[in-house]
Amino acid sequence: MNDKKNIDRLFQEKFKDFEAAPSDAVWNRISDSLPEKKRKRRVVALWWQVGGIAAAIALLLTIGISVFNSDPKSSVDPDVVDTENTNDNSSSKDKQNELKDDAKYEKLEFVDSEKGSESINDLKGDDSLEKKSESENLISNPKSQLNSVTVYSDNKDNGSDSNKEREKLTTTTDKENTKVASVNNKKLENSNKSELANDKELRSVINKTIEDSDTAVSDNSTTKNSENSNSENTDATAATEDLDKEKKDILKEDPKKESILDAIAANNTEDRDIDEKEKEDEQNRWSIKPNVAPVYYSSLGKGSSIDGQFNENSKSSDINMSYGISTSYAVTKKLKVRTGVNVVNLNQMTSDVLAVSIPNQSPSASFTASGTGAVVQKYPNVTLNNHTQNVSIMSAKSMVSASSLDMSSYKVSNIDQRFGFIEVPLELEYRLLDNKFGVNVIGGFSTFFLNDNEIYADLDGETTLIGEANNINNTSFSANFGLGLDYSLSKQWNINLEPQFKYQINTFNNTSGNYRPFFIGVYTGLSFKF
Amino acid sequence: MSLERLIKNCIKQDAQAQSQLYKQYASKLFSLCLKYSKNYAEAEDNLHDAFITVFSKIDQYNNKGSFEGWLKRIAINTSLQRYRDNFGVYDIVNEGNIEDVSVDIHDEDLSIDFLLKIIQELPDRYRLVFNLYVLDGYSHVEISELINISTGTSKSNLARARMILKEKIEDYKSNGNSQSS
Repeated sequence: MNDKKNIDRLFQEKFKDFEAAPSDAVWNRISDSLPEKKRKRRVVALWWQVGGIAAAIALLLTIGISVFNSDPKSSVDPDVVDTENTNDNSSSKDKQNELKDDAKYEKLEFVDSEKGSESINDLKGDDSLEKKSESENLISNPKSQLNSVTVYSDNKDNGSDSNKEREKLTTTTDKENTKVASVNNKKLENSNKSELANDKELRSVINKTIEDSDTAVSDNSTTKNSENSNSENTDATAATEDLDKEKKDILKEDPKKESILDAIAANNTEDRDIDEKEKEDEQNRWSIKPNVAPVYYSSLGKGSSIDGQFNENSKSSDINMSYGISTSYAVTKKLKVRTGVNVVNLNQMTSDVLAVSIPNQSPSASFTASGTGAVVQKYPNVTLNNHTQNVSIMSAKSMVSASSLDMSSYKVSNIDQRFGFIEVPLELEYRLLDNKFGVNVIGGFSTFFLNDNEIYADLDGETTLIGEANNINNTSFSANFGLGLDYSLSKQWNINLEPQFKYQINTFNNTSGNYRPFFIGVYTGLSFKF
Repeated sequence: MSLERLIKNCIKQDAQAQSQLYKQYASKLFSLCLKYSKNYAEAEDNLHDAFITVFSKIDQYNNKGSFEGWLKRIAINTSLQRYRDNFGVYDIVNEGNIEDVSVDIHDEDLSIDFLLKIIQELPDRYRLVFNLYVLDGYSHVEISELINISTGTSKSNLARARMILKEKIEDYKSNGNSQSS
């Protein structure tokens, strides 16, 4: 008991097996601040995007096929469009949340890594040599990439102007690189707290070089002839894309060296991903566009929606108006999904028609009584108004063959069938050319809700409403194809011109002949991005 | 689950693996944090920060050294971090040179709680130096680099820490004796 002991040994012995359990609250705090399942969530977000597009296309195809192949009377569920819309909304919303979350986590991680990297640096003095060489490596990479771009343009005979610019650019970035490199080295030598700073600087330099080369490339393309500009531009963008990719690859390289570099690389690529996403976000994904269009209605085959006897009659349409508003969401740089609401009015004039009003006789009686059975009939597709029950319409052409009535007392006139819809389109827009002047192809479908349905006839010199068609479906569809041209006035405003062809599906029941209606519209509008 | 597997899953940010890793090492690291902190709450904060660092940097653990050693270094560094920035100020004061005084005491049946308490009561820098040198085997050169002091300061701090600890133990002993008799 009385043996004297060195105080150091006393403490060493006592603390050798010293362990102390912390309270559960510590773990709860830790698990709360961990960026759990970050990767998985990002994958899910991607699936939402891709899946959303795939679902839209699949839905489109199924509707198109089923409607084309099925009995026109078979009803198609009108809710289809709604589900599609909500799907789309939720996916995009999800994605936005996703982005926010990611950003948040990234911040958190950032804070953490600051502490972490410092402490690890302190501990691993021997690593610093390796680190240094690697970071030099890292820095030299963008340089060599830029050089390769220069070489690339050298190979092209028409890029002489741009070469100079690029060379200039290369030298400037070289300078920057070497500057940063020296700063890096110094800091690494001084060691400890520079890890994060280096990381940041590296990243900013890399980003900067990318941006610079981007702008240089776009500058080049604008100075070139309009002939060359298309191919040139796409080539150049391809080149920069390659450049980006290669840089990323390089950052990911060397899986064996599980040192801090890997983490830097991973951080960089992850950050870049997020940066890109954010950039795209800033880049006005949404746009809204009021539009107006002259529309012309016609049919592909001969036939009539009113009655078989008018199949051969000549038909024409006025130029009617369609107007509405649409909104679009840019899923990627090239692909947009858009929807909206339009009011469409259409009409069709059937000429060479005799419309007769025979007072004091019920229509069926009068016509059966006249004994011209071939001509006289009820029109199953037309519901006549009460006061025009005694009006009968017939084709003047068929009257010629069965002319037991006195033709001279009737004037040849027209039937004017008018109908209007509320149109809800759902379309995909793919961008072919993306300059100040843009070209898009558009495909999709529309749902139509009937809101106007009238049949007029010229009766005794007056245009009279005689009734309405009862064979127009309340809900119908169309397959849409179009070409979109736009011209950008500013970053936010575009003028659009979109000739569109809309092939109508199950608009009418009971048509006679080969009646396949469609309409053409030239949609003009002013779109605003936000 | 093998340690290697556990680390891999932690790199994948698998929540279960992280929880298991914590359970496995929390006690060891917490004892470290307790020694280097001036109280329990500070130790908990340091443990929290240390594990956050561990989970965010675990992909940089290169399987070379012992994993436990790696964890401990992170825990120690996290604990030092708190004081590192303030130490320049103290260096101005001339603390004299009391070097390598070996302090012997009678081995009493001293509880670990008491020893921990008197360590925590040491002035911040004395505590760190004593811990680093005596309990965790760092050299004065390493210590001088870790907390930005000269090796001379490190040595004199160590000596002062020993003196203080000895006094406290003797006080405790005499108090205990007087109470018992």
